[in-house]
Amino acid sequence: MTRLDTLRGPAAPLDHNARTIAALAVNPGCDRRALLDAAGIDKQRTATHLGYPAPFGQSPFAITRAASFDALVKANGCAHLLRLLRDTLDLSISEASYSDISDVGGSDNHQVRHTRTRALLKRAASDGEGAGTLFDHPLLKLGVAGHQVYLEPAIIAFQIEGRFHVVEIKSFAVIDDQADAGQVAAAARQSAVYVYALRALFASEGLDPDRVSHDVVLVCPKDFANHPTATLLDVRQQLAALDRQLSRLTRIDRILDELPVGITFDIEAQSPDEAAKAVSTVDARFAPECLSSCEMALFCRAEARDSGSTDMLGRTARDELGGVESIPTALGLADDSRLPSPEQTEIAEQLRYVRRIYIEAVA
Amino acid sequence: MGPLILCGTVELDALEKRIAGLRSEIRAAKAAGDHATVRSLRAELRKTERAWDDALEPEPEPAKAPLLPVREQVHQALTLLGVPTAAKMIVTVNEAFFAGHITTSQLTSLRRDEEKSFRTSPYARPYYLCAALTSELLSPARGLLAVSTWPLPSRIIGPLSPRADFLTSATRIAEHIMRLTGAGEDASPSAYRLLTRMAQNIPGAVDGFDQADPAQVIAAAGAELAVHEESDTDERGEAARRAEQQLNEVTRLFGAGLKTARTA
Repeated sequence: MTRLDTLRGPAAPLDHNARTIAALAVNPGCDRRALLDAAGIDKQRTATHLGYPAPFGQSPFAITRAASFDALVKANGCAHLLRLLRDTLDLSISEASYSDISDVGGSDNHQVRHTRTRALLKRAASDGEGAGTLFDHPLLKLGVAGHQVYLEPAIIAFQIEGRFHVVEIKSFAVIDDQADAGQVAAAARQSAVYVYALRALFASEGLDPDRVSHDVVLVCPKDFANHPTATLLDVRQQLAALDRQLSRLTRIDRILDELPVGITFDIEAQSPDEAAKAVSTVDARFAPECLSSCEMALFCRAEARDSGSTDMLGRTARDELGGVESIPTALGLADDSRLPSPEQTEIAEQLRYVRRIYIEAVA
Repeated sequence: MGPLILCGTVELDALEKRIAGLRSEIRAAKAAGDHATVRSLRAELRKTERAWDDALEPEPEPAKAPLLPVREQVHQALTLLGVPTAAKMIVTVNEAFFAGHITTSQLTSLRRDEEKSFRTSPYARPYYLCAALTSELLSPARGLLAVSTWPLPSRIIGPLSPRADFLTSATRIAEHIMRLTGAGEDASPSAYRLLTRMAQNIPGAVDGFDQADPAQVIAAAGAELAVHEESDTDERGEAARRAEQQLNEVTRLFGAGLKTARTA
């Protein structure tokens, strides 16, 4: 761990949250993001220091909107939510218990809240009927890259017939039973993180992790009104991706071993140029999708442009050009100005063919 | 008031004179066949007539300063509801039934101020706005306000209490609307809106998006409350007994918490 602390410098480590963990799963091949996140480095500040501030983050309007919708759904002892759960999951009338874990006896210390979450969930799971239905603001813990991360979900873990579900409240509208696919996918990825953490908690308490359902209850405003509606979301696929990604993160030592000794990403002690050089020692895997999920995206894009990397062209094109690292190489192979190496002969032939068709088409 | 009315009449006289003048001008222009002038003069006439109408309107009354201080208004709303309530609900009830204008931000420091006042001179006021206590730790429940004169069990928040309290407050609001209509008055539209909103989350209390019927709400809320009541009352009673034994007079009202223990 000391190696990661050296990388970060004297700054305090930045906590992971469901958003960052979900973003990791989007681009599993990126060593740079994996390493920066594992070391708890503030990517936003690093990107600004390097001269590529990210036009990125949640708008204050979106945050206010999300908070007010969240408050609406949870108002009056989760009155709205109980109605929705009774409608969609046939929750019985008698199951209406609600425990708020946003503070414990006036203390909002993470450790205390997590202990309380564990105790309440364990009791609810082992006592059976009526021992707890809704749990507001539970605090979960997840091991990411060897260190423990608290997840502060604005969600409720909820029990029905002995199975626990995660409720995710999102403020994007479901219009005519259709919601924006991108938003739903993002919500599914984030909920998968909570399901994963909740299962980990169950396993460590000696309970059956499968009692946490892979179906997540997604609560969104219905149509154009502010009236909440609920749907079930299957997150099995996201869970599998997350599982793979997290197990890969724990092998962060491999990336560390390849780094030169004594390197640091500390932005206080280094000039932007030095820091940029240090960051560049770790390979990134840029894809245009990064622009919407990673603070370092603009830096990586500039780097990919400078080196003429095929990453610039998006995942599909990059995979088609397997084995050819840069755009100038690909062009050189296509117009015969560059001799293909033995492993490039096949792709070179295809490129030449494409070029011939292209020339015929534009001639 | 004298000069004002005078001023108004002078203004009206001038406007009437102008209207009469415009009318005769329009007639003259019409006779001359000058349609463009007729149009513009008629527009002018309409404008003048509107100004005459406006001059008849009475002066808007200056906004009244609230007669009751904030804590009295909160007490009024809480007495209607009869259960520990969140600030937002207090503001809504105050607005719907007492035409008050308090805002949630005015309530944020209320509990702290009351605690300070109680600590300096206990029981100097007839009532205090205090905290509801969580059943397990007897710490102040987040965001809820209660009245110190209520029996202790009703100030305890157990796992089922948020739901039970929600049903109770819906019942109390419906009862109050029935009292108003029984006395020959009608409740404000916002009171009905509030009741309808609450009723939508109680099974069988309202059909679709219709306006809720108070009697139906009372019946439906009572039916669900009957399911929760027994275990909720047990939990509250047990916690209240513990609170009587363990807490001193300040913490019995304002809650014992890890934070209180540290700062006290």
